Amino acid sequence: MITLTDFLVVSVALFCIGLYMIVSKHNAIQILIGIELMLNAAILNLVAFGKYDKLNNGGQVFALFAIVLAAATTAVALAIILNVYRRYKTIDPGEVNRLKD
Amino acid sequence: MKTFLSYEDSLTLFYALGAVLLPLLAFVVNCCMPGRRNKASGWISTGAILLSCVLSIIVFFNTWNKHTIHLQQQWFTIGYSKIYAGILLNNLSALMLLLVSVIALPVHIYSTAYMKEDGRYKRYFTWLSFFCFSMLALVVADNLVLFYSFWELVGFSSYLLIGFWFTKEKAIQANKKAFIMNRIGDVGLLIAILIIFAQYRTFDIVQLFGDGGLVGQSITKFGFWMGPIRGLPVVWQYIACGGIFLAVAAKSAQFPLHTWLPDAMEGPTSVSALIHAATMVAAGVFLLGRVYPLFTTGELDVMAVIGCFTAFMAATIALTQNDLKRILAYSTISQLGYMIMAMGIGAYASSLFHLVTHAFFKCLLFLVAGIVIHQMQHIKDDNNLDIDPQSITNMGGLRKKLPFTFIMAIIASLALIGLPLTSGYLSKDGILIQAFDWSDDKSWVFKLVPLGAVLTTWLTAFYVVRLIVKVFFGDLKLKKAHQHIDIHINDGGWQYKLPLILLAIACLFPLFSLNPLIYEQAWLFNGLTPTAHLERVNIYHTLIPAAVNILSLFIIYFGYAVYVKRKTHIFPQSGFLYKLSYNQWYFDEFYSRFIVKPVMMLSSVLSWFDNNIIDGFVNLLPKVVLLISKVAAWFDYYIIDGIIRLLVHIVESISNFVRGFQNGKIQYYLFSMLAIILALFIYLDLR
Repeated sequence: MITLTDFLVVSVALFCIGLYMIVSKHNAIQILIGIELMLNAAILNLVAFGKYDKLNNGGQVFALFAIVLAAATTAVALAIILNVYRRYKTIDPGEVNRLKD
Repeated sequence: MKTFLSYEDSLTLFYALGAVLLPLLAFVVNCCMPGRRNKASGWISTGAILLSCVLSIIVFFNTWNKHTIHLQQQWFTIGYSKIYAGILLNNLSALMLLLVSVIALPVHIYSTAYMKEDGRYKRYFTWLSFFCFSMLALVVADNLVLFYSFWELVGFSSYLLIGFWFTKEKAIQANKKAFIMNRIGDVGLLIAILIIFAQYRTFDIVQLFGDGGLVGQSITKFGFWMGPIRGLPVVWQYIACGGIFLAVAAKSAQFPLHTWLPDAMEGPTSVSALIHAATMVAAGVFLLGRVYPLFTTGELDVMAVIGCFTAFMAATIALTQNDLKRILAYSTISQLGYMIMAMGIGAYASSLFHLVTHAFFKCLLFLVAGIVIHQMQHIKDDNNLDIDPQSITNMGGLRKKLPFTFIMAIIASLALIGLPLTSGYLSKDGILIQAFDWSDDKSWVFKLVPLGAVLTTWLTAFYVVRLIVKVFFGDLKLKKAHQHIDIHINDGGWQYKLPLILLAIACLFPLFSLNPLIYEQAWLFNGLTPTAHLERVNIYHTLIPAAVNILSLFIIYFGYAVYVKRKTHIFPQSGFLYKLSYNQWYFDEFYSRFIVKPVMMLSSVLSWFDNNIIDGFVNLLPKVVLLISKVAAWFDYYIIDGIIRLLVHIVESISNFVRGFQNGKIQYYLFSMLAIILALFIYLDLR
């Protein structure tokens, strides 16, 4: 029997992997993937907790919205990465440090 | 005081004023004149003094033996005392006015030739005119303050002229010495004037010393000096008289302040003739004449003794000196001693009479000396010799080279010795006779005064003969030492001869008295003592002149024999008396050892004190301040600034720490956020 805890454990694992990717990878695409992983961990939580709202299926609905929004943000993020690449000839966020003091 | 003068009197006053101010005008014009050797300056000064002389003669004839002319204006007010200044013309001042301008005229003419070669011709005449102005103003001043200011000016112009050749070290020394010596006298005079003012509340000479003046009404009793207005302790009277005597001694070169006069001979000879023989040195005697009533009998006795001593001492020094001008200087001191002595013994008129006659013959002697020195200088320059042109040891035989000068020198010398037919006889024998009269009713100590005076007369005869013989007789000693020298010298032009002739005429008796043998008949003598006419009562009046002059004649012959017949070493050149005389009685050494040296030592002590104590203290102060400020600076740097710097450092390190996060790496920011959130959670959990 798959319990809520198992869902949450997977979610936490996903979140942590995403988090690790975000802080450790040198490729913006991989970081973006990390962000997606974290987002999906959150969506998994929404879905998992959706069992407490059987009447309206609020969790699932909210998950759907989140997925759509995540797709949109990913598109935007990819566009930014593309532009960054055009300007700096790299997509390593460590190299793009013009904003430092 | 308002006085109404008649037309003639105001005209006379106007003339006197003109006589005084013309030399001042010449002085101002000469000051403004361009060129260092502008010959016009000589003629301006001479012209001014000529006019002065003419005016003085007019003034003299209008004033002599007539009433006193006195005009004054209010000068200034101190408290309630009004001080007047003006002109006083009586017999004494008219005589002095005449004398000064008449002596100054030949000297000016002589100077135009004598100073011809000098690089500072214009300056010479500028100062000479300035001196004449001061001296003429001095004799007509009616007021002690005015008198004092001109007295100072006379001293000052004398200072300028002694140091005229200011590139000579000796001249500088001499004018400093003269000035300092005169300052001592000036201080005395100032003190005396202030005491007189304190006693009588006026500076006016007529009110003080005139007939029935304030001084005449004063009496001394019970230790008090009672004037008509108020009284002072009698000691003030002594101090006033002492001060005046100090002034007289300084100006007229009397013991103990006489040492400046021989040194003053460093000036040009014409200056010596005018200032240091004839006029300025007589200012002291003139002052005595002005304030004569102030002195009491006892003080006059002291004065007579000092005058006699000075006369004797200077005559003994003149015996052995070798410098031509120095001999004459000591002779001047000696004759001035006679005048002071005459004042002391009450022979007021004879003293002033001697002043006048002495002025003429001594001026003549100096001008002769000037010619001789000038010619010796010519010989020196022509032959490139290294000799002292003033030393009589180099001279001799000049009688043939300078016949005119020789005759003039003889006339002047006879007058100086005081032989009959000359003016000197009239005045000097008057003094001698009155000195014997004076000592008649006194103790034997006072008999020494007339005896000393007579002895001095004989000494005078001897040194004058020595001088004349060494200069004019025998052979030129220079010729012996230097075989091949060329000698082209002569008496000089009319500018030399005319003044000499004028002065020589004034050395003879007819100008003063129709009777060449009896001084009481001299008009000048009678003019100054209208009331107290001495009777020819006792034997002195015939005996003394006869004895003195017969012995003088012997001495003259003796001197002539000694020096002309070449028995030169008849006198020992080494004895104590010789040394005493040659070294001028060691006065200079005495003064330098006992006065100059202690003063110098005192001043070096004071200078040490100043340098080390006062300056040391002053120098210590900045050091202390510097130290304090260093401490303050340290405190400021390390404590005050230190706190600020520490703060800055803290802020800086904090900000640097914070800056470390802003490294532009997005992942790092994210990591930081994560870490903070984790930390927050851990903190919240653990709480």
